[in-house]
Amino acid sequence: MSERAVVITGVGAISCHGAGADTLWRAARDGKSGARTYEFDRIEDQKVTQAAGVPPETVSENAVHVRPRMQDRVVHMALIAAEEAVQQSGLSKADFKDAGVIVGSGFGGANTLDDNYYFHARPHLDVRMDPFSIPKIMTNAAASWISMTFGANGPIYCNSTACSSAGQSIGMAYHMIKSGMLDRAITGGTEGCVVAGVFRAWEVLRVMTPTLCRPFSRDRNGMLLGEGAGILVLETKESAQARGATILAEVAGYGTTADAGDLLRPNPNGAARSMTQALQSGGLAPSDVAYVNAHGTATVANDVSETEAMRQVFGDGFDAVAVSSTKPVHGHGLGAAGALEAIVTINALRERIAPPNLHFTEQDPKIGFTPVTEARALDGRYAMSNSFAFGGINATLVFGRAQT
Amino acid sequence: MSNNSSPTQKLENELLDIVADETMVERALLKPDARLEDLDIASADFVLVLLAIEEKYGIYIPVDNEISTIETVQDLLTLATQKIAEEKTE
Repeated sequence: MSERAVVITGVGAISCHGAGADTLWRAARDGKSGARTYEFDRIEDQKVTQAAGVPPETVSENAVHVRPRMQDRVVHMALIAAEEAVQQSGLSKADFKDAGVIVGSGFGGANTLDDNYYFHARPHLDVRMDPFSIPKIMTNAAASWISMTFGANGPIYCNSTACSSAGQSIGMAYHMIKSGMLDRAITGGTEGCVVAGVFRAWEVLRVMTPTLCRPFSRDRNGMLLGEGAGILVLETKESAQARGATILAEVAGYGTTADAGDLLRPNPNGAARSMTQALQSGGLAPSDVAYVNAHGTATVANDVSETEAMRQVFGDGFDAVAVSSTKPVHGHGLGAAGALEAIVTINALRERIAPPNLHFTEQDPKIGFTPVTEARALDGRYAMSNSFAFGGINATLVFGRAQT
Repeated sequence: MSNNSSPTQKLENELLDIVADETMVERALLKPDARLEDLDIASADFVLVLLAIEEKYGIYIPVDNEISTIETVQDLLTLATQKIAEEKTE
């Protein structure tokens, strides 16, 4: 079967800024920090206090398709985002009969798991273990609930590849539709990790900023933990056009590679191969890319490595590319990151605005470039979004502005 | 470092004990000019060292600062001593 064009006809999100893909985009465009102060009763002597968590009321006020005893909040968030994306696509249950659901998560039901550990270690509190712990914790729960809710009987995949989970999921859905294995897919990622146990685990790894998340800045000192869900409806361009759907953007390319090196330390060559592969898969040249929504975690290692990789890929044209990391806005959403950032990137193309990289103060000599610090006009047709994960897993998506 | 009983020397000795314990490198090999790479101490080991420093001195040092560029045992000692001093003055 010949290769088919793949488009996005629905997007949905929930993040620290609230429910709605537009809410997320406006926060990114307007440069609103998502950091909030967290003081967990369950962490003794907590040092880091900033995270971009989703407030409980944001989840409860927007909840849809809830099965109270059977779902962790990571599923509630996925269903809120999926409902928005499906509504926007204009597709009904019957349209999803053979559709795939490819939705990743890094931690799965972290809140349930955290409660279990907490109470298991404190038998004197006499709290009964949640009998539905297993179905609430399993990382594929969100993908399965989406499949059940929207009647999608095609394949379910759950990529649990840390920070590349959502990027790889969207890329996999793109490949499956492009190759003819699927006509439609509901895809993206979800993460509900701003809970005491997971927060503490990141704190002891020492990669969280004690101050502000400043990607690419000389004085950067770590990431801002985030969470949320981003869901996209992908289908063939042919089917979208045939039913007169609004095409939000085209998925124009995808690449994924492994560093096969260090578990935690990124390798610029792996990242560069991922970006190059994404361009090649879409038949694009580096000069076609006008904007890169960088992985940009604001850790020393990622930002140096990612910059070196971008220089390898874009060469002399690198200076002409607008680059920003929007992680200070929505936090590092881990398994949801690639989907939240895909939604930001798609909207950047639609509104022709490159969103700003917050809190940048000065150029790092080891990096040697300044990202977009104020929102600026974006005219090119293609934009790239990177996700790089612990475990040396790189994923790059390229999106194209819908042609009218 | 002529005065073995100076507060700095005492602190550096405590820090060397921590480094030896956490990285499982023999204490005697931790000479000031020894390169961390040659001792097979990787950046991941810093996490353990910094956690032990937090436990003992109550300070949070992220891995995302100057520690990413240090090369020798002395670099590590100097940085840790400086961060502990900074914390005390805050």
